[in-house]
Amino acid sequence: MIDKQIEKKVKIINKTIESMKKGNKALSGVSLPDVAKELSMPLKELTQFFLTVEDVFLNEQKRINRKLEKYMDRKLAIAKTPNDAKEILEGFLDKFIEILPLNAEVILAATFYLPLCLEERKRAKANYKIKLKIIIKKGWPGKIESVLDRQTDLVLLSLYGFYDYCSRVKIDERREVLIDFKNMLNLHLQDRLFF
Amino acid sequence: MVFVDVNIKPKLKERVVNRAVKALKQHKSLDKISLPAIALELGVSIEDLQNYYSSVEDIFLKAQKKDWESIHRYWDKQILKSRTPGDYKNAFDLFFEQFVSSLSDDADMRLEMSCYLPSCIKYREKNKKKLRDKFYKVIKRGWPGKQEKVLSRQTELITILFYGFVDHVVHVPKIERKRILRDFKNMLNLHLQDRKFF
Repeated sequence: MIDKQIEKKVKIINKTIESMKKGNKALSGVSLPDVAKELSMPLKELTQFFLTVEDVFLNEQKRINRKLEKYMDRKLAIAKTPNDAKEILEGFLDKFIEILPLNAEVILAATFYLPLCLEERKRAKANYKIKLKIIIKKGWPGKIESVLDRQTDLVLLSLYGFYDYCSRVKIDERREVLIDFKNMLNLHLQDRLFF
Repeated sequence: MVFVDVNIKPKLKERVVNRAVKALKQHKSLDKISLPAIALELGVSIEDLQNYYSSVEDIFLKAQKKDWESIHRYWDKQILKSRTPGDYKNAFDLFFEQFVSSLSDDADMRLEMSCYLPSCIKYREKNKKKLRDKFYKVIKRGWPGKQEKVLSRQTELITILFYGFVDHVVHVPKIERKRILRDFKNMLNLHLQDRKFF
């Protein structure tokens, strides 16, 4: 029963994303009644899952963030050595490219406009910053606070550039760039001459 | 004799863009912004406005194009006069400096539209390719001796990082933009100097 409900929810999400992508439309060109019609699903049933198109995108955005945040929390709680912390950053990036859906660019676009998605974006970014700082502090110890803050900012902004890139390419291409991206972050975090 | 004020056109265009951004900030919805409303607020006729813009989306698209064309013009000049690796490294740095100094106070709203409106996204992706090609050229000459494969991969990373930087820098106050720019340039330099980059 639960599986069927999840299945329906996923269908609605995919159809909404597909509909926005297909017509090269902005969100105002997509409506839940149209999505319901395309899915041959009564609107009443659809609105048991989502009340607005914004809800659909917010749900997807939150789902991705929740998974990544949970992963970092879980791993940080058991990290003992610098190597453990370094592995969290690597694992986080691995997980990120795996869970990012194929049509992620549509969700990403929505997060730049819809008020609730913008809020969630802001919240998640602040949260990632806090967690990344803890990871960098543990994984690359001995940095003074100001260096730590500045390097965290750079890692964070790199991550958002990486998100932008990954959202537009297939998983194989994500994996290809991931290796270089990880190396580059490592090089940056190992830098003892940081000014 | 009739004198034509050549500044009227650019001034009106600038006012239209500012008005559209202001309205977006205020209403937080594109559906609540329209060409007739902007025309009314600016005290011009809708026909005047339609001479330049076909829709609200068009306002943001043309503003985005104008900003980038200006940056490309500046950068092309720097690249064109470069001769030595040092010149190209300098041109590389100047691009980022020019980009940051050209950002307006409402750059965050403009970025959001460029990442959301379909025609703006299309232009953004086209411009990304153009930037990547220029990064490639400048890196090749500024940091010579790299193998083709390494050059391509490093260019891709620089492009990725640049777009992350854009997203970051528009959301911080102007004074902080310069500080982060310094660190960002150092990070890119470190990356491009890396000889172990397989």
